[in-house]
Amino acid sequence: MIIDVNFVGLIIASIMASAVPLILASCGELITERSGVLNLGVEGMMIIGAISGFALMTVTGSLIIAVFGAMLAGVLISTIFAFLTQTLITNHVATGLALTIFGIGISAMIGKNFVGIPGKEFPVIFEGLKDTIPLLSPILFGHSIVFYFAFVLPFITSYFLKKTKIGLIVRAVGDSPESASNQGINVKLVRYACILYGGAMCGLAGAYLSMIYTPQWIENMTGGRGWIALALVVFSTWNPIKILIGAMIFGGLTIIQFHMQAIGVRIPVQFLTALPYIVTIIVLVVISRDSRKIRLSTPSSLGKSFYKDN
Amino acid sequence: MNTNLKISNVTKIYPGCVANDNVSLEFNSGKIYALLGENGAGKSTLVKILSGVIIPDEGKIYLNEINLKLNSPLDAKKNDIGMVFQHFNLFETLSVFENLIIDSDEQREVLREKIDSIMRKYNFSIDLDIPVLNLSAGQKQKVEIIRCLIRSPKVLIMDEPTSVLTEQETSELFLSLKKFSEEGILIIYITHKLKEVMELCDEVAVMRRGKLVSVSEIKNENIESLANKMVGQNLKTIKKKKEKNSSVKLINITNLNFISEDPFETNLSDINFSVNRGECLGIAGISGNGQSELFQVLSGEIISDKNSIEFNKNYIGDLNPQERREYLMAFSPEDRLEQAAIPQMAIYENVALNNYKSSNFFNNGLINENKIKEHSKKIISDFNVNTDNIELKSQFLSGGNLQKLIIGRELITSPDLLICFNPTWGLDVGAINYIHETLIKINEQNKSIILISTDTDELLKLSDKISVIHKGKLSKIMDADEVTSEKLGILMGGGN
Repeated sequence: MIIDVNFVGLIIASIMASAVPLILASCGELITERSGVLNLGVEGMMIIGAISGFALMTVTGSLIIAVFGAMLAGVLISTIFAFLTQTLITNHVATGLALTIFGIGISAMIGKNFVGIPGKEFPVIFEGLKDTIPLLSPILFGHSIVFYFAFVLPFITSYFLKKTKIGLIVRAVGDSPESASNQGINVKLVRYACILYGGAMCGLAGAYLSMIYTPQWIENMTGGRGWIALALVVFSTWNPIKILIGAMIFGGLTIIQFHMQAIGVRIPVQFLTALPYIVTIIVLVVISRDSRKIRLSTPSSLGKSFYKDN
Repeated sequence: MNTNLKISNVTKIYPGCVANDNVSLEFNSGKIYALLGENGAGKSTLVKILSGVIIPDEGKIYLNEINLKLNSPLDAKKNDIGMVFQHFNLFETLSVFENLIIDSDEQREVLREKIDSIMRKYNFSIDLDIPVLNLSAGQKQKVEIIRCLIRSPKVLIMDEPTSVLTEQETSELFLSLKKFSEEGILIIYITHKLKEVMELCDEVAVMRRGKLVSVSEIKNENIESLANKMVGQNLKTIKKKKEKNSSVKLINITNLNFISEDPFETNLSDINFSVNRGECLGIAGISGNGQSELFQVLSGEIISDKNSIEFNKNYIGDLNPQERREYLMAFSPEDRLEQAAIPQMAIYENVALNNYKSSNFFNNGLINENKIKEHSKKIISDFNVNTDNIELKSQFLSGGNLQKLIIGRELITSPDLLICFNPTWGLDVGAINYIHETLIKINEQNKSIILISTDTDELLKLSDKISVIHKGKLSKIMDADEVTSEKLGILMGGGN
């Protein structure tokens, strides 16, 4: 049997495309968690981003407004979370769960008027180079700008955390907010910023789903990707590069199991559907099992409220 | 240049407590000042005000006649006031270098050079690129000091710096502090240890219950006079009568090993010792050398080989703490609020917890509240716990009262052996005295103690025999009379 190399390239490209929302949301949540805040509202922020992006695109017709609007929507909803957890010192877990429920509900309500409306085509770049190199061309060229951004983001995130002053401050706050505060760092401000950044990335991830990946609005269209993104952050031990690996494995297995189902492989469908979840977690656990490194990269104050008593 | 720091009429009131009551003090560079007081006397509050962590309700701070507005730690730093906190303000998972540069805006290379030159000048040697959690307490403190020195401070405040240090580390610290003082840095040294004040400082200010009691020169004071000023009454000195102990073995540990899966714990290797009735065995060591693992193995939090622990002719190595209690062992862990008591539960509930099985506190699964309360009241009066409200949540008890409650709870069942771990850690002189008296009384009743402690003075005072733990290994067991604190210090550092 002869396999067309470009077909393989296309499969890899589709795997990468399905990993994009996971990478975006995970890298955003990673920054939030590195500052010591556990935001379980990823799914909710993503779906808000998805409906906001799609609605703005339909109403204004501008893709730029739609993409940035989706990010802004993510920021706004995460501001609610930030205000509750940082200013009113509510419990991170409960507030995050509420955020997800709220996001799913409100997106369904807004989305009623947008069901069945066709999306717009999102421009791709480097399209002219699509046929130049066998195998690699379909992988490298002809994707949206968000796609490229997603694959650079883990490296930027890693550089930001390790090499920049602000990255150092974020890690310090996540390690010990008390010490950070005594060093004159404004813990609340840092945490607010990290939560809002996480919201923006989740909003972008949602917009990618509704505007680029499957350009239409379907109720509940994030389909649990927010939870996978959260799991990726933890199982990657807060390492952006490992998030990239995990997202690719998850995306890859999702795509491959679809093909296997289509071909009619005699494995129970339920098992195939569960496969990406199981394998991703196993792989990430195996590559992250060095307990010393876990201790060093886990934000010690994760999920704990911080307040100064003067 | 001379530095003059003036605190003028500072008051800080918390609900139910005046932490600083109209305190005025003046300091000049070239001298080392001691700020002395018991726990809760308000000295920590005062220095936190100086370092901008706490904002006073009233009063002013002047540095060289300039009125400082200290609204945040940053303000203090900008005004050249550096502070080393009692509980380190370090980021455990970040590297030493990252910890040092976090509050500075200078280039990394410049800072690295600066740090190197400071370390050379004061003979510090610390690997800058390892995470702080791998450092010893003494090294961590040096990191804190370097962090202050980077900013070339005019004032350096040390809040109870020796509570985590060994003898050697303490004398190294004192040398450094004297050097800083000679270089013109004004040093304020907070402590409740009188010996240190006498050894290091030039002037001493004593605080009691938020008020400044006295300011005087060290040469006019001695340990007794300072102790009495600090406590506000005459303290009796306690001393253990060394008697000939019985030679009946109560507990015998043979070839006890513990290998931890957690790389941040210490493995115990080949522990052998025995304790006779009426005897107190002290175990010295720098914290983190396996004391907490040893305590857990002895108390049954970590189960070991059945035959490795023989207690009263029974092999109990595989029993859990509750089962061990039934053989008349009792335990007082190091962390009073995390391990010994449940902070959110009332005093009487905490009392019921360690004896839920053998006592008559419960009938058919129901709590017999009256019985427990009666019992709790007895503990409170017998052991001098300073409260009459047994429904108070235990987190609101002071460290000393909580420790008395815990010791009382353990002793009221009259156990044969009490194992305690740093029983007077962080307590003030009065409470320490009481705990020490109680422990001596236990020995007099022909009951035994294993005292794991990082306080060598305490060990020398209370123990009949002493051993030192270093990197999970016990030294040979020595008679306490033949041991000096210098010798212990050498063994604690791993020497011979």
